[in-house]
Amino acid sequence: MRLYLIVSASPSLCPGDNPQATHLPRAWAPLARPPPHGSRLTADLFSTNPGALKSPVSEQTTTPEDQRSPEDPLTPPPPAASLTPEPHNPGTPPDLFESVAEGPVVVQGGSPKLSSVPLDLPAGGNGGEGKQQPTFFPTPLQEVSLEEEGDEPDIFDTMSSPKLQLNQAEGDGGDEFIQITVSDPQKIGDGMSSYMAYKVTTKTNVSYFRKKHWSVMRRFSDFLGLHRKLVEKHLHSGRVIPPAPEKSAIGTTKIKLGSDKNADSGSLDFIERRRAALERYMNRTSTHPTLRADPDFREFVELDAELPRATQTSALSSAGVLRLLNRVGETVNKMTFKMDESDQWFEERTQQIESLDAQLRKLHASMERLVNYRRELALSTAAFAKATAVLSSVEEHSSLSRALHQLSESTERTQTIHHAQADADFYVLSENTKDYIQLISAVKDVFHERVKTFQTWQHAQITLAKKREAKAKAELAGRMDKVQQAQEEVTEWEGKVERSQEEFERISRAIKKEMEQFDVMRVKDFRDMVIKYLEDLMTSQQQIIKVWETFIPEAKAIS
Amino acid sequence: MMDGMEDVLPSETNGTKSGRSDTVDLNDSTLQVDISDALSEREKVKFTVHTKTTLPDYAKPEFSVVRQHEEFIWLHDRFDENEDYAGYIIPPPPPRPDFDASREKLQKLGEGEGSMTKEEFSKMKQELEAEYLATFKKTVAMHEVFLTRLAQHTVFRNDHNFKVFLEYEQDLSVRTKNKKEKVEGLFKSFNKSTDEILLAATQKDVDDYFEREKTFLLEYHMAIKDATTKADKMTQAHKSVADSYIQLSSGLSQLGTIEGPRLEKFINKVADTFEKARKVEGRVSSDEDLKLSDTLRYYVRDGSAAKDLLYRRLRCLANYEQANKNLDRARAKNKDVHAAELAQQNACEKFEHISNKAKEELNDLKARRVTAFKKNLIELAELELKHAKAQAQLLKSCLQSLPEE
Repeated sequence: MRLYLIVSASPSLCPGDNPQATHLPRAWAPLARPPPHGSRLTADLFSTNPGALKSPVSEQTTTPEDQRSPEDPLTPPPPAASLTPEPHNPGTPPDLFESVAEGPVVVQGGSPKLSSVPLDLPAGGNGGEGKQQPTFFPTPLQEVSLEEEGDEPDIFDTMSSPKLQLNQAEGDGGDEFIQITVSDPQKIGDGMSSYMAYKVTTKTNVSYFRKKHWSVMRRFSDFLGLHRKLVEKHLHSGRVIPPAPEKSAIGTTKIKLGSDKNADSGSLDFIERRRAALERYMNRTSTHPTLRADPDFREFVELDAELPRATQTSALSSAGVLRLLNRVGETVNKMTFKMDESDQWFEERTQQIESLDAQLRKLHASMERLVNYRRELALSTAAFAKATAVLSSVEEHSSLSRALHQLSESTERTQTIHHAQADADFYVLSENTKDYIQLISAVKDVFHERVKTFQTWQHAQITLAKKREAKAKAELAGRMDKVQQAQEEVTEWEGKVERSQEEFERISRAIKKEMEQFDVMRVKDFRDMVIKYLEDLMTSQQQIIKVWETFIPEAKAIS
Repeated sequence: MMDGMEDVLPSETNGTKSGRSDTVDLNDSTLQVDISDALSEREKVKFTVHTKTTLPDYAKPEFSVVRQHEEFIWLHDRFDENEDYAGYIIPPPPPRPDFDASREKLQKLGEGEGSMTKEEFSKMKQELEAEYLATFKKTVAMHEVFLTRLAQHTVFRNDHNFKVFLEYEQDLSVRTKNKKEKVEGLFKSFNKSTDEILLAATQKDVDDYFEREKTFLLEYHMAIKDATTKADKMTQAHKSVADSYIQLSSGLSQLGTIEGPRLEKFINKVADTFEKARKVEGRVSSDEDLKLSDTLRYYVRDGSAAKDLLYRRLRCLANYEQANKNLDRARAKNKDVHAAELAQQNACEKFEHISNKAKEELNDLKARRVTAFKKNLIELAELELKHAKAQAQLLKSCLQSLPEE
């Protein structure tokens, strides 16, 4: 019904930022073809707007467009009628804002890199299916006060270009949204039993959440546990579950064993990468309306206490080993079972997915190379700047010495620019591509689910035939008691065949729909990512221009 | 005949030729030297040294000869060893043409050919060839600068060896030092450096000016050497960044084909932009190399030559003082006084001569250095500016042209 705008960096929210006071609720019909502007899904998925969080000014000016995004249901609501329309009673926008404005300040993501995207949901009151469990949590949630983080200096200040914000002009985006930020990585405990905890801040106006704006602390294994549960519950319905960041033994051990004071840039980097990846993961998952409504997900973001340890995510537990075996089995299955593909669509898509996967991996490798080279460039430029400074101090000719000193300073500035650009190379381009690769493998998983259902169906058919044979044999042999039993079995298996066929067709349909959305979102995300990157590159160049422009007069002043 | 030499040697070898190198602007047209052409064969580079002169000593007003790198070194050594020139800064010899790095890269590229697409491969090959060409041009320029400095120098230009170098049609048969001579050379330089250190420690200079100069030069030399290495590293890194754009660009185009119509146009535009951006970055790198690194490098070597001058002077001073002592001793013993007197006088003259010349040369060096730095720094900044603007413009137009959804 209304737009909820987030101004991350500003200490208060301005009601005035909300241009659209009312908004007709949109029917969340199965025709859920999302509006072409996948919206900030893209930004969401590819965290293309690192700068957005940084500066209050830019944030404010862009929020009107920025924060709107039509919801982009990745799947149509499940046919199962488990969802009931929920009466939606939002207050008027100003109320909303006021209530939030009194609340604590929004916290920045821990780095300038990512911004989460608010996602609109269709208002529940229109017969759509917001899942409603308004009284899900017995315990009241506490709002955690969020500190405002300082701005990191970086060149992406001006990068929150309006271009990236998609207009809700079509008005078919819902007006509900949810935005999650992951911040404040902290080391809890000491030694091998220590772990990293992150603050997960959610802002939303989705009705089935208790509050509009709150935080909880979660540890890394919690995120993994969530992912596992979601996979268990939804993969077989044909949904693409966004993949969670990977475990890394080396990085984690370094953190565990290192002390806070000695956090070197390597481990800081690792923490930052992980935090950014977690944030992207949370936002991608929350974008998906079904996943968002999932009780486990909601518990994850809302429950104010510590979640029960998802021990089964630990690599060495028995459950972990079991999972590993399962994985192996599945892989073998994937390789050996060649499905008789009758559906042209699936045939094409599978192939396309495969080649996309391969090509993206290659691309990612070359992006990583670029990042490394640029980081090297930044380092060597810094070294040169120092050497030039020394030279300038030795030089006896005074104006040449001054010019050399200027050269040293200019080079120093260029070095900073290169360094920032390398970061952009990394976070905007490389990490997002990596995410993309992981998403593709989630898609492959879903496709494989379908293959499995097909297998089940085939198997059921074969068994049915056998049972029928057995029955016929029993009839021939005149064994009436056996015939009765055989008949029961035949009926049973007939039912199974029917059901598994239904299941197969259902999942095929679901996947098709899901893939449609996925495609649109994917294209959008990619475009946005590339555009963002190009803009960053351009800004770097413009800054370099400034540096040299200031240097030239100095050089000319040598007498 | 000599004029036949003026034309470029036909390509009987599989070398690359450089175009005409830029002629240096000479104030004095009585003796103009330049390298009109160069041919690269396998291991060697053959330079065509072209001379134009109005001096009467020369047989013809205009002529060319073919010289190789070793012959340049020979010429430099003749100057270096000549005691008459002890008071001058001998222009540093040009560095050996070194294509090893390029060759190595080409080899690596050949090995990795299987792993990349055809276009990628051809692009990288082009890049390498351009690099090779750039190195080639640079070495030609350095040899030319060496000659022009000699030609412009009022004393050096009249040197007999120089004339021979310019005129003698045949090969100078300067063989590279064989082992024995190399070892000898090593010994000599070793001796020289120990002597230098010894002198530096024991010999007190009578002239404050030279004391100061010495300290300054030593410090400066170290600083500038360091700066040169770092500058080289920086240009290298820049080049690598530019090259990695190639893979990015081709990877993107391949992605475009897979993605199909929706993204293809978009992606192709982006891939194209990267390709263009890469060229600009590459030019940034090579310009930095040319203007910055080379200037620094040249003055490292010039500074080295200046240090040599100071060393020679100091040695002269030591000799002079030794001669004085000898004279005193001779007078005391009253034996060989005349000889000693003569020796002392010689030494004294030499020393004075050197000191005066050295002062001039050092001031000259300073002035030259300042001018060269100024010119190159300005050019560097302007080029960097130009390239940055070009890249910004390129990116801007790409962004504008990317079709909106």
